Amino acid sequence: MRFLRHFALCAPLLLLAGCSTVNFALFHPVGRVAEAEYHYTLLLVGVMMIIILPTFLLMVIFPLRYRKSRNATYAPNWSHSTIIEILAWGVPVAITAVLIHYSFVGVYAVNPYSPDALDGSPGSALPPIKVDVVTTDWQWFFIYPDQHIATIDDLVVPAGRRVVLRLTSTSVMNGFYIPRVAPMIDAMPGMRTEDSFEVDQPGTFEGFSTDFSGAGFSWMQFSTRVVSQADFDAWAKTVQANPNTLPYATFTQLAHPTVNFGAKPAYFSAPDPELFDKVVRDAMNGVAYPVPDSLTESVSSNEGKALVPAPASP
Amino acid sequence: MQVDLQGPWSPLFGRLTLDAIPYDNPIIVGTFLGAATIGLIVVAAVLYYKKLPYLWREWLTTVDHKKIGVMYIILGLVMLFRGFVDGLMMRTQQVIAVGPDSPGVLGAQHGFLPPFHFDQVYSAHGTIMLIFAATPILAGLGNIIVPLQIGARDMAYPYLNAVSLWLTTAGAALIMLSLFVGQFSNAAWVGLMPLAELPYNPGVGVDYWMWAIQLSSLGTTFNAINIIATIVKMRAPGMTWFRLPVFTWVNLSTSIIGLTAFPVLGVALSLLTADRYLGTDFFTVGHGGNFMLYIDLFWIWGHPEVYFLILPPFGVFSEIVPTFSEKPLFGYLTMVAASFAIAGIGWSVWAHHFFTMGMGPDLNGYFSSATMLVGIPTGVKIFNWLFTMYRGRITFTTPMLWAVAGIFLLLFGGFTGMMLSAPAINYTVHDSVFVIAHFHCMVLVVATGAFAAVAYWWPKVFGFKLDEHNGKLFFWTFVLGSVVVFVPMFGLGLEGETRRLDYIFNPQWRPLLIAEEVGIVLYCISIFYFLKMIYVSLRDRVPAGDDAWGTGRTLEWMTHTPVPFYNFAVTPQINALDELAWRRENGLDKVKPETFVPIHMPSNTAVPVIIGVLAMAFGFGMIWRIWWMAGAALLAIIVAVIARSFDKNQGYILTAEEIAKLESKTELASVIAEQPKRAPLDHVEAH
Repeated sequence: MRFLRHFALCAPLLLLAGCSTVNFALFHPVGRVAEAEYHYTLLLVGVMMIIILPTFLLMVIFPLRYRKSRNATYAPNWSHSTIIEILAWGVPVAITAVLIHYSFVGVYAVNPYSPDALDGSPGSALPPIKVDVVTTDWQWFFIYPDQHIATIDDLVVPAGRRVVLRLTSTSVMNGFYIPRVAPMIDAMPGMRTEDSFEVDQPGTFEGFSTDFSGAGFSWMQFSTRVVSQADFDAWAKTVQANPNTLPYATFTQLAHPTVNFGAKPAYFSAPDPELFDKVVRDAMNGVAYPVPDSLTESVSSNEGKALVPAPASP
Repeated sequence: MQVDLQGPWSPLFGRLTLDAIPYDNPIIVGTFLGAATIGLIVVAAVLYYKKLPYLWREWLTTVDHKKIGVMYIILGLVMLFRGFVDGLMMRTQQVIAVGPDSPGVLGAQHGFLPPFHFDQVYSAHGTIMLIFAATPILAGLGNIIVPLQIGARDMAYPYLNAVSLWLTTAGAALIMLSLFVGQFSNAAWVGLMPLAELPYNPGVGVDYWMWAIQLSSLGTTFNAINIIATIVKMRAPGMTWFRLPVFTWVNLSTSIIGLTAFPVLGVALSLLTADRYLGTDFFTVGHGGNFMLYIDLFWIWGHPEVYFLILPPFGVFSEIVPTFSEKPLFGYLTMVAASFAIAGIGWSVWAHHFFTMGMGPDLNGYFSSATMLVGIPTGVKIFNWLFTMYRGRITFTTPMLWAVAGIFLLLFGGFTGMMLSAPAINYTVHDSVFVIAHFHCMVLVVATGAFAAVAYWWPKVFGFKLDEHNGKLFFWTFVLGSVVVFVPMFGLGLEGETRRLDYIFNPQWRPLLIAEEVGIVLYCISIFYFLKMIYVSLRDRVPAGDDAWGTGRTLEWMTHTPVPFYNFAVTPQINALDELAWRRENGLDKVKPETFVPIHMPSNTAVPVIIGVLAMAFGFGMIWRIWWMAGAALLAIIVAVIARSFDKNQGYILTAEEIAKLESKTELASVIAEQPKRAPLDHVEAH
């Protein structure tokens, strides 16, 4: 019994000892928005600890100290103390008031539509990089309306520029999320949401869908490559020269349910300039890309070969 | 207007074909063979020992609140086991299917569950654990204990009580059936919209989910009405509002939630039913439909539902901590106030389930603040339990251990819940396994509350205590398993792992996934000790006294152990909060009644169980679109209800002499003993 009890107390520590923080993506934010999220996480947790830690201590001390075998002070009828009851309500009220204050400041700081955290950033002096994000079952389309290019499952942005995303979906809900860089926001059919971020240094980050969307959900990743402005311009030129174009008719072909194993990227030049608006309008008019029964019932039979031929890479 | 469906349909069998039976899947076939074997053994044993009439008379047709409560809890425990096996499969799939080179068997590219199966498993896990395990166990506890705590003969509506039980059972039976005939929903226990609409879910899975929940939520609503009426109208003389034990108070607050919230779910599911069966556009994407409406409606039910589940365990802790600290509960009035504060605030926080859906910062800020307010009454409750232990004389029996573990889990779950309620944090961990770990902490409070309550009140119902040695081994393995599963899960959430993945694309997550699997093994060991605890207790049957723990404070410990079917030989007169403690202090606890008055008892009825079977047939007919079956079952339910309303049976009278005789031989009057056979009354003057 005693062994079990001690082991129960120590087990979490063993687990903590077994891993460094390198894998903990959320402890290594990149860019002002993610750093603000991390800042408010630490701040709010810190305020909570003012009440959590003493309570935890009391929860350890009282049961141990007032065990029957210890013969500690026993007050068989004591059940009321105005001072303790005022404290029991008052301290949580005070702590919660502080938490609510910082929660409100925090929600504006990282508001995906217009984060206060980006005020005065290097990129705020320059025009933002616009990217339209369209999710299908089960791929990511990134359309650059100013560069006239589009990609599948590959988001490339320049460092030091503010990136403004508009998101929608052709079919069901998905969640757009790059853990170390951008706050989570849902991509919803027939609707438009927005997200913003800015990264100062080049790097590669993992992004994926967080909101379950069906059989291909677990393969719905994309890479986020932050490159220098010069590299971005060069990359955009290469894609502009790609012979594969993306008129709306081609897009509707590609939007049919497709599991993209390994998130293989694809690139297009000259996407339909109104592609994003057409996707929203079509969804509102009831255009759906139904998932065939065969794909909901047994994705394994389709594994390895996409339902629609994958578009060629550059 | 019927919607277009994929696949064949025939008037006789609807959408049901032989293909619907997954005889080619070894896991399901194995489960079926196991379940069929156990079922056959049970049926054979019942027939061999000629127990069928006993089973029918004493259990299936009973209206006794204690037996109904016991059946609720058995149903909940069976479903808890099923839900656990789902969890075991999910954890095992995630530990195998890591990275592109991981092996795959049974038709899966990675692991042993293709997405189609995995998605059903996780959807079934959530649906079963919340609606068919936690809810029935808590409903059962309320059923057994509330009438005893207020000195009532039975629930206010004994017949409705049985209908509630059998409707819930019908829903549970449909979920179990979906394993062997057809498929279950792959759109999560919440019903993700528009994924649960026909274009993305053409099969019967969503229909199984929809009808199972719809039937059981009817049962839960009826049960809430019953509990409210019982507490308001059936209290013993002298049992004023502020002499009610806290467990009864929380059952009142939780039933008010149940009565007001479950109809919202019923409406949401009915509109979805119209979408899927009639081709309407309430929650579709196009044609003016708005799936956000469903998400709002679902969580307007869903969040109060969370407090519907968590409040009864708070009541359980409030009974157990004073009993084993040998002190009255600290701050009784604030405890009651806190319960109703939680129930009230629970109505204004639902949008915190979708901070990422693009609401503006002001709206997100409002729902964040409202959510944080819940922390205040919850904190008060923790302090009150702590100061109940302060200067107490604590004995660590199994129920007390569960209660203390539950309070620890509540502190940790509450802390992480406060984190999630801040949108700035929520944007980084929403829909990640951090959320999963948080709400498992909270539902583990429900589990510890349920196990605490079962251990605490078991002797009252069955007359003997649960085995303490194996009970403690069960406790420690279960708690250790919880720590080893859910602490790494918080870590994975901070590493960014998102929920509902059947394939793990990031190999860095593997070490913590392996740790979680170790925890699952500990859970398996805890199930072994649970079964051993039940077996040893049934074998030894050490008799327990009326006040089984010796330090009970409330009314239920005043009557016989096990409780006779008429609860109290004489309706007690209540003098104080914690009546038994008051009588013990004044030397009145051993006083036995000398004269008895006749007791009016309700007669058994077969109508509820028939309604349950018919409701299941109705659900099955609707799911497979076998219209004749659904129509006939619905008609038969209406006929049964009308026929019952013409039934002139007014129950029967237990005479004073019979009570005196039963009181002298209490073992005859236990919950598992038979009631006397008696001709029903035609007419009754008064109760």
